[in-house]
Amino acid sequence: MIYTAKNETAGAKKIALDDLILTKDYPTAAGSKMLDGYMSLFDAEVVTRVKEAGYDVAGKVNVGEFSLDLLGETSFYGENRNADGNLVSALAESLKQADACLCVDSNGTPRRAAALNGLCFIKPTYATVSRYGLVATVCSGETVGVLAETADKCREILSVIAGHDDKDGTGLPQERIDSAKAATEIKKVAVPVSFLSGLSEEMKTVVANAIADLKAQGVEVVEIEDDILRFAQPAWNTLSAAELCNNINRFDGVKYGYRSPNYKNIEDLYTNSRTEAFGILTKMQLLLGSEVLSTENYMPVYDKALRMRRVICERFAEIFGNSDAVLLPVCSQTAYKQTDTDTAYNESLYTAPASVSGLPAVVCKGIQLVGNYLSDASLLALAAKL
Amino acid sequence: MDALQMQRLEQLNRVALTEEERESTFVFFEKRFADMKTCDSVDTENTERMVHVLPLANVLRADEKKKLFSREDLLKGAPEHTDGYWQVPRLLE
Repeated sequence: MIYTAKNETAGAKKIALDDLILTKDYPTAAGSKMLDGYMSLFDAEVVTRVKEAGYDVAGKVNVGEFSLDLLGETSFYGENRNADGNLVSALAESLKQADACLCVDSNGTPRRAAALNGLCFIKPTYATVSRYGLVATVCSGETVGVLAETADKCREILSVIAGHDDKDGTGLPQERIDSAKAATEIKKVAVPVSFLSGLSEEMKTVVANAIADLKAQGVEVVEIEDDILRFAQPAWNTLSAAELCNNINRFDGVKYGYRSPNYKNIEDLYTNSRTEAFGILTKMQLLLGSEVLSTENYMPVYDKALRMRRVICERFAEIFGNSDAVLLPVCSQTAYKQTDTDTAYNESLYTAPASVSGLPAVVCKGIQLVGNYLSDASLLALAAKL
Repeated sequence: MDALQMQRLEQLNRVALTEEERESTFVFFEKRFADMKTCDSVDTENTERMVHVLPLANVLRADEKKKLFSREDLLKGAPEHTDGYWQVPRLLE
């Protein structure tokens, strides 16, 4: 954790917060030099809710810059690796000091943290948890989820943070969110086989074991052919770059955040502040977002991605006509040594389908189960049995 | 895209890449646009755009004046401020 709580309430359960979640008692940097030391004037809605429910905030957890990377390796505060040279997730490590961690899922980072560390993570249905008070990156898909050791713990904390919030204009009405609380039995799970071909041998074993566990619980597992869901990756990358570009253009070194000491005029101030503060992955995504929104690319690239989002959602709806959930890998490998921009993008193949569609996904046993809208409780109930 | 176009994009977004970063960004762009091109195999001519995954209703609140934060609080995070205002370099000579 980059900031740890100094005052603790005796006996209170502790919640860690990833560093994209604004807190008035701790700095919030989103892993970026741009926001190093930034103090918010208010708490995010999810923080207010956990505090009101009697939980203590254990501290803030390091994330990659705007959480665009694999596991936090692009953070201004540095990456963590173990003795074998593999990347270590600060989100997963935070559970040594807290009962659960609230994490913002936009590019699948917390899902990877859960899958690689034998933990459970729920990325809830989009718009069921308030986004008020997040460092906005990809507004049309980012979701606050819960990382914990068990599905039951995820369910407990999710019940605290989920709910309509008037301050979040994209939130669902309370009666719709309430319908996500009732669990129905998941009897049939579909596995798109095209997602299994690029996995390492170790990850293939992880998936095979999870399928065996599902079958042992009486769940029917069927393999399906699919040539649509893989397009979620380019579509989501296009949309997320465009939205990121709009969101981080607010950082200009004037009202808050980093200001370069090297400037003679306002143009220098903007450019030098942003150039010195943003990392290379953020700059690349920023420029890509700007380019896909250009006159030349708006229709063939950005507009196409918005249409592909509907195609992917319709494909999911078709699958859910015959199955209750979709099993997808979360990562292609069981550990990461290489952490370049290509690896970060390539791994989004597995996390993009749930991100672009806003569907709920529960990670357990190293895999993810993606369910229909508002099937969060059903997914967690099944995960609790595995 | 050529180097001039990339520089124009950098200027638009108020960032400056080094030559090495610019080379990497060209490669990055090439791969991302090639991936997006694969979507052309799916006919979307009659598919509506989906901006938001769930239906949204516009909700209006009462048009009431609220003071959320004081001027002092808002200036606390400013890199530089003076006389109660954010400070920027002189814009006009």
